[in-house]
Amino acid sequence: MDIRKGELLALLGPNGSGKTTTINMLCCLLKPTRGTARIMGFDINKEAMSVKNVIGVSPQETTLSERLTSLENLELIAKLRGIPPDKASRWSAALVEIMGLGERRKDQVRKFSGGMKRRLSIAMALIADPAIVFLDEPTLGLDPQARRALWEYIASLKGEKTILLTTHYMEEADFLSDNIAVMDAGKIAALGSSLDLKTRSMDKHTIIVHAWNITLKALDEIRGKYPEVKINGNSLSISGKELDFKETTDFIHSTGAVIRSAYYKEPSLEDAYLKITGKELTS
Amino acid sequence: MRFVSLAIRNAKETYRDPLALGFLIAFPLLFMLLFGAALGGNSDLSYTIGVVDEDKTEISGQFINDVLSDIPILKIATFESDTQATESLKNSDIKAALVVPAGFGEEINKNWQNQDPDIILELVYDESDLTVSSQIISTINVAVRNFARVNIPVTIHTHHINVETEVSQIDFIAPGIIIFGLLIMVPTSARIMVHDKETGFMSRLLATPTYPWEFIAGYSASMLVVAIVQIIIFILLGMAFGMNIVGNIALAFLIFFLTAICSISIGMIVAALSKSENQAEPLCWIISMPLAVLSGVWFSREIMPGYIQFLGDIFPYSHAVSAARMVIIRGAEFSAVSNSIIILTIWAIVAFSLGIILFRLKMRA
Repeated sequence: MDIRKGELLALLGPNGSGKTTTINMLCCLLKPTRGTARIMGFDINKEAMSVKNVIGVSPQETTLSERLTSLENLELIAKLRGIPPDKASRWSAALVEIMGLGERRKDQVRKFSGGMKRRLSIAMALIADPAIVFLDEPTLGLDPQARRALWEYIASLKGEKTILLTTHYMEEADFLSDNIAVMDAGKIAALGSSLDLKTRSMDKHTIIVHAWNITLKALDEIRGKYPEVKINGNSLSISGKELDFKETTDFIHSTGAVIRSAYYKEPSLEDAYLKITGKELTS
Repeated sequence: MRFVSLAIRNAKETYRDPLALGFLIAFPLLFMLLFGAALGGNSDLSYTIGVVDEDKTEISGQFINDVLSDIPILKIATFESDTQATESLKNSDIKAALVVPAGFGEEINKNWQNQDPDIILELVYDESDLTVSSQIISTINVAVRNFARVNIPVTIHTHHINVETEVSQIDFIAPGIIIFGLLIMVPTSARIMVHDKETGFMSRLLATPTYPWEFIAGYSASMLVVAIVQIIIFILLGMAFGMNIVGNIALAFLIFFLTAICSISIGMIVAALSKSENQAEPLCWIISMPLAVLSGVWFSREIMPGYIQFLGDIFPYSHAVSAARMVIIRGAEFSAVSNSIIILTIWAIVAFSLGIILFRLKMRA
C-alpha cells in the first residue's frame, strides 16, 4: 500500500480489524511481527527516531495531560518535538485560536467537552508542522454537529498534509478521503477511491420511484415484469442488471400510477463494504 | 532539553492534583506527627537498666558512671553478678541487663592506641517489649561506639558525653520516619508514569522523538523536587518535635537525597514493568512495606535475626537509616558514613539505569 504526498487515506473497518494496530506500527509504537514500512524513506523498524521527527499523531483515546491547559499541552508536545521554546509558545497560541479554543486557553483541559478535547488532540498532532499526520478515530464519540465541524477542519488540511485516518464511520471515510483502504481481520480487503469501491460493488442498478395510485393490479404488473421490486408506502424500489431508466418509468406510468419523482439510487460505501467483506459495518 | 519539559509537566500534574500531592506529603507526615507527638517533647520517660561491671577498671567505671549514667532515658542500677541482674529483669524491675565483661577497658584502650579492639558487651533484654528494647540497644550501642572512638580520653571525654546526653526517642525514630517517607515515593513515583500509560498519554509522548533516558529523567526530576520539599518539611517537623541534629545537616540531607533517588528509580522500574495502575500499585506496596521493616525504620535492626539483617543489607534503605541515625544522633562525619553513601550511590545509579533499560525494552512492545 502506498500513500502519496498530500493524500488523505482512510483505513475503514470495524473495531478489531487492525486499524489502530496499523497506525501504532507506523508511529513506531508497536513492532511489526514481520514486514516493514517506510515513511518519507525512513524504515519504521530501523529508523524510528527519524520517523518520529516527521509525523504527528492524534491517538484514538483523547489523550491529554488533564491538569495542563490547552496551551501547556501544545507547548509540551512542541518542545518534545524539538521546537525552540519561543516558537513553541507562538505556534501553540496560534493553533489554539485556529481550533477555536482561544477563550478557554487558560483552563485545565479536564474541564473541556469531548469535542474540545478532540480538537486539541488534533492540534497536538499538528503542532510541529509534521509532513505526515495520523488521526486515529478523530471523531469517535462526538455529536453530529461537532463531528461535522471537525470534518471541515480535517478537509481543510487535505493537500497540505499527508493524512492517514482510521474510522469506522462510512460517512466520514466517504466525506474526507481521497482513498479508502477497507480493513477486515487485519488485512486490506480493498483499496481505492470511494467512487472506485462503490462502482466495483455495483452489480445491479436500482431505480427509486415515488408515485401515487399504485394499485394492487399495478403492483402485480410491475412485479411480473421486474423480478426485484420492493414497496414502501408510495415508494417503489426496482433493481435489475440491465435496467433502462426511461423504459422502466414509462412502464410504471402505463400501469396507471402517477409518478412524482424517479431517480437512480447511487451505490453507497456501505453496499461496497458489504460486498467486499461480506459483513455489515456496525459501530 | 526535553526531559526538563517533561519534568515541568509532571510537576504541574502533581501539584495541581490535591489528592496526589496530599498523599505524597500527608501520609508520611501523619506518621511523623503521630510519632512526634508520642515520642517528642520533654518526656520524663526513662528506662532502668541493670549493669554488671566484671571488668572493674577505671575505663569501665568511666563508661558506666560518666557515659551511661548521663543518658537521660536510662537509669542505671548496678548489680554484682549477671545472675542477679537477669533475675531482676525477669521480675520486670529493670528493662535490660548489661554486663561489662572483663577486658573491656583493655579493648577500649587498644582502640585509643590505634590497635584493633574486640569490644564485647553482654546485653539481656525483655524481648516482649521490642520498642523499648530497641531503644535501649540502640542507645547503648551508640554510647559504646562513641566512647570507644575517643582517642585522647581526657580531652574528648566531655565532648562525647555531651553528644550522648542529646539522645532522645525522637532522635532515634525521626530518621527512620524520614526514610519511610522516602520509601513511599516508590509507589508515588510510579503512579504518574503508569497513569500516563493507562490513559494512553504515554503513546502520544512516545510518538515524539524523545529518548528513553529523557523520559526516565523527566519523570524522576519532577519527583525529586517533591522529595526535596518532603525532606525539608520532615527535618523541620522533626526539629519541632525535639529532634536534635548533632551532625552535619548537609550530610544528613545528602543521605536522604540519595535515598529519594533510589526510591524514585525503583518506582520507575515498577512503572516500566507495569501496564496499569492496578498492576503497579500492589507491586509497589509489596516492595516498599517489607523494605520498611527490613530496613529498621520503626525498630532497631539489632533485635532482628542475622539473616533478616543480611536481607535488609542488600537494599539501600537499611544503609540509609543507619547512616542517617549516625549523622543525626552521633554527629558522625562523612568518613564514618562513606560506605553507606557509596552503597546508596551505586543503588541509585544501577536502579536508574535499569529503569532506562526496561523502559527502552517496553516502549515498543
